[in-house]
Amino acid sequence: MDGNALQRISLAEKNKESSAEEVDACHPPLNFVTAAETVESLKHSCNGQLELSCTAASRTVPEGLSNWDTDSVIQSTLSSDAVIRPPINWSMTPDKEAKMANGGLFIGHSSAKLHTETVVTIILDGAATCLSNTQCEKPSSIAMSAREGHHESCNIRVEPDGAGAQPRTQANVAGDLSGGATSNLNSQSLPSSPAPTKDPCRVSAKPDTIQGEEPSASGHLGDDLSSRPHPQALRTRTVPNSVSYDSSTILSPGEEDGETFAELGAQGHSDLRFMDVSLSSRNTFESSRRGMKCVSSLKIAHSLSWLFCLVRSLFPKKQREPKGPSQNVPGWKLFGKVPARESAPKDSRTIQQVGVPAGTSPTQPQQGRRKNLEFEPLSTTALILEDRPANLPAKSVEEAQRHRQEYDEMVAEAKKRELKEAQRKRKEMKERFKQEESIANAMVVWNNDILPNWENMRNTRRVRELWWQGLPPNVRGKVWSLAIGNELNITPELYEIFLSRAKERWRSFSETGSETEADDGASLADRESSLDLIKLDISRTFPPLFIFQKGGPYHDLLHSVLGAYTCYRPDVGYVQGMSFIAAVLILNLEEADAFIAFANLLNKPCQLAFFRVDHDLMLKYFAAFEVFFEENLPRLFNHFQSSNLTPDLYLIDWIFTLYSKSLPLDVACRVWDVFCRDGEEFLFRTGLGILRLYEDVLLQLDFIRSAQFLTRLPEDIGSDRLFACIAAAPMLNGNRKWSQVKNGYV
Amino acid sequence: MEAIWLYQFRLIVIGDSTVGKSCLIRRFTEGRFAQVSDPTVGVDFFSRLVEIEPGKRIKLQIWDTAGQERFRSITRAYYRNSVGGLLLFDITNRRSFQNVHDWLEEARSHVQPHSIVFLLVGHKCDLEPQRQVTRQEAEKLAGAYGMRYVETSARDAINVEHAFTELTRDIFQLVRSGDITIQEGWEGVKSGFVPNVVHSSEEVTKSDRRCLC
Repeated sequence: MDGNALQRISLAEKNKESSAEEVDACHPPLNFVTAAETVESLKHSCNGQLELSCTAASRTVPEGLSNWDTDSVIQSTLSSDAVIRPPINWSMTPDKEAKMANGGLFIGHSSAKLHTETVVTIILDGAATCLSNTQCEKPSSIAMSAREGHHESCNIRVEPDGAGAQPRTQANVAGDLSGGATSNLNSQSLPSSPAPTKDPCRVSAKPDTIQGEEPSASGHLGDDLSSRPHPQALRTRTVPNSVSYDSSTILSPGEEDGETFAELGAQGHSDLRFMDVSLSSRNTFESSRRGMKCVSSLKIAHSLSWLFCLVRSLFPKKQREPKGPSQNVPGWKLFGKVPARESAPKDSRTIQQVGVPAGTSPTQPQQGRRKNLEFEPLSTTALILEDRPANLPAKSVEEAQRHRQEYDEMVAEAKKRELKEAQRKRKEMKERFKQEESIANAMVVWNNDILPNWENMRNTRRVRELWWQGLPPNVRGKVWSLAIGNELNITPELYEIFLSRAKERWRSFSETGSETEADDGASLADRESSLDLIKLDISRTFPPLFIFQKGGPYHDLLHSVLGAYTCYRPDVGYVQGMSFIAAVLILNLEEADAFIAFANLLNKPCQLAFFRVDHDLMLKYFAAFEVFFEENLPRLFNHFQSSNLTPDLYLIDWIFTLYSKSLPLDVACRVWDVFCRDGEEFLFRTGLGILRLYEDVLLQLDFIRSAQFLTRLPEDIGSDRLFACIAAAPMLNGNRKWSQVKNGYV
Repeated sequence: MEAIWLYQFRLIVIGDSTVGKSCLIRRFTEGRFAQVSDPTVGVDFFSRLVEIEPGKRIKLQIWDTAGQERFRSITRAYYRNSVGGLLLFDITNRRSFQNVHDWLEEARSHVQPHSIVFLLVGHKCDLEPQRQVTRQEAEKLAGAYGMRYVETSARDAINVEHAFTELTRDIFQLVRSGDITIQEGWEGVKSGFVPNVVHSSEEVTKSDRRCLC
């Protein structure tokens, strides 16, 4: 599992340089065991050019995919399996897929729906399925889609620039996938031969051809991109949190992945990174990284569009297949192939496939009624009406007719449902495009007008309103950073110092371990529990996203930030709930920036009060909250009073984690946006907004159910509705504002 | 008229962080086991009905607390209104067992003037190879404190039902015998909506009468 994943990454590192010896304390030694053969294969494919052209990442563009047919690919896949190790049986773990797909693999799911079986198979089993849909001329995009379905960081890796991307992909995917508990993956990801590697993401690629492929792929993609508006332009950090608009990007900070490991393993930033040749300093690295990121975001958006195009492109083709007059038998549709049959329909023997797009006009009244052309439902649920077997008494005419009728009705129903579903999908897509466009527009404004002029603009009405509507994902990190500020004057160098101190402690702790238990009891115990707790909590942070788990791309990063913080602020230490805050920051910022924001954020009075569990201060916050609660929602307030539902029972979770645990990530980020703008007051205002949003429901629930409800909010809570409710809750008590009320208690 | 539930008991679940409190509760109330789930921040709430005897249902209100020491100052406020508690430790984590004493002290000092019926639970018993606490010593500790001891596994669904129902039965006995009473303003035990509150004596006579066979 994680050992393997890290093994892969460490492989990459090893090849990169000899920094492998610098075993990071937070990586158990196990991680650095490298399989000889994988190193071997790396060397092979690398042609000795370890850094740049490490084509070990065979999972990128599949070469000549379109020329293959399903069988041969499957063949080669299978053969490669024989060559390498037993592959991960992706198809066996569809729910794992789904799980992995969950956090950001919106695309995976939606495309699955659009394309049901065929696409699903794309997602689940890159090699085989892509082939089934080879009508798509763009193997790279299929691969990308396939990859996409699997995991974000896979996508990101398809970067045209720099072969350096390759090994990272490797590492990333390995990391991700191992995060997804697919232990076997890593080893076979490295092709020891030109045979396609068994990697769920990859379609098939010959290692040494990857480089050649890339430019074309990218060029290709680039073209396509221009044809569609895509939200994330060529910008800095793609922020993964706007799940709503393009959830594939949610894991886009994949750039971090390989880097992180590389970094931690290498103990330095000036180390060579796979990504960029020209890298010498941190800054240039970052800027080039940004370049990478924007490309990757392009890719992501592109792959999204690609999947849809793919689906679209498939059907028209099928529909154009000639249909004779006896077209009632569409034939089986398997993996996108629809053999047209010309045989005359047998009377009661009809194999009818619901939803198969057919070319005939809908007026054909036969049993083999086809669907309307413009509607391309795809359902591989075949409703079959067959003759009763001959050895049984035959049906009477009426009975047969009745059955036929019922059958027709069933089919009609199914078709209707599919039609509806497709329409809904279309509508959804339209919404998304609209949203993406508005975000794209906002982005331009932020980047060109506001950010360059930050100090002057930040308090203007216009900016504040734009801010309220939600920061575009790729300026989000920057604006958060600026808004949170750096009162503590932490520099990246300072971060490094604390980080190395933390690592030192971990190292010594893991070495001495129980021996030192005797002396220095209390502080050691605290330290121990902090350390262990951090480790355990990291794995429990946003589990559905699978990025913070051991072996996941952000595991070490999160570990670093939290560890460094405990060194930096031993007076606060590590408190459960922090991992969520750090995680959200990491998803939006570079490591050092994330740490700086984290430290400064936790230094705000409200956060300090809560994380230090300053009981008195907390009670005062709650009391102030109740003042506004009563003012805004008197009925609910009284209801809560009578059931004894005190604010601490729900506010603690909300305030501690800044809603990152309670709200869906994209909504939480919107809350963070305005929290950065307005300060602690907004946290409580959001609380009121939530109560208002669900007031009707809550009024009907008893104590335990209300408490349960509030600590586990519905997942479909939408940011627009929530923000409407928040807006409707002005924090005014009489003419006293939040700070006045609170200070009245303090 | 039959009540849906006779009584409602409020239980609190305490123990070191990561011993598996949330998992155990989830297994009990939702029937599922999640290998990975969010750490509890503050307190989480669950509920479930148990039928301790045919026709006798108790509604359990379960408070799942954050285990980190830091949170104790928050969670200590919750002992007062709980009638029962599950004290969890992880059998593969010696320290969590050693802290049982602290937890008990914490609870006892903050539950006054009421009292809580505790059950000692050795969790993660499916991880036998990594066991660091023997059953004997745990039983000994439990005996010393006057508690039952149960070993459970949320993952393999071992003794989960048993743990909760045993505790509930114990509390129910105490309620029936009058050792624990419903009090105004105390949330530990609440009676269900029954026309006549069932008292032990009444119940006995009633059943006697019915037993004219």
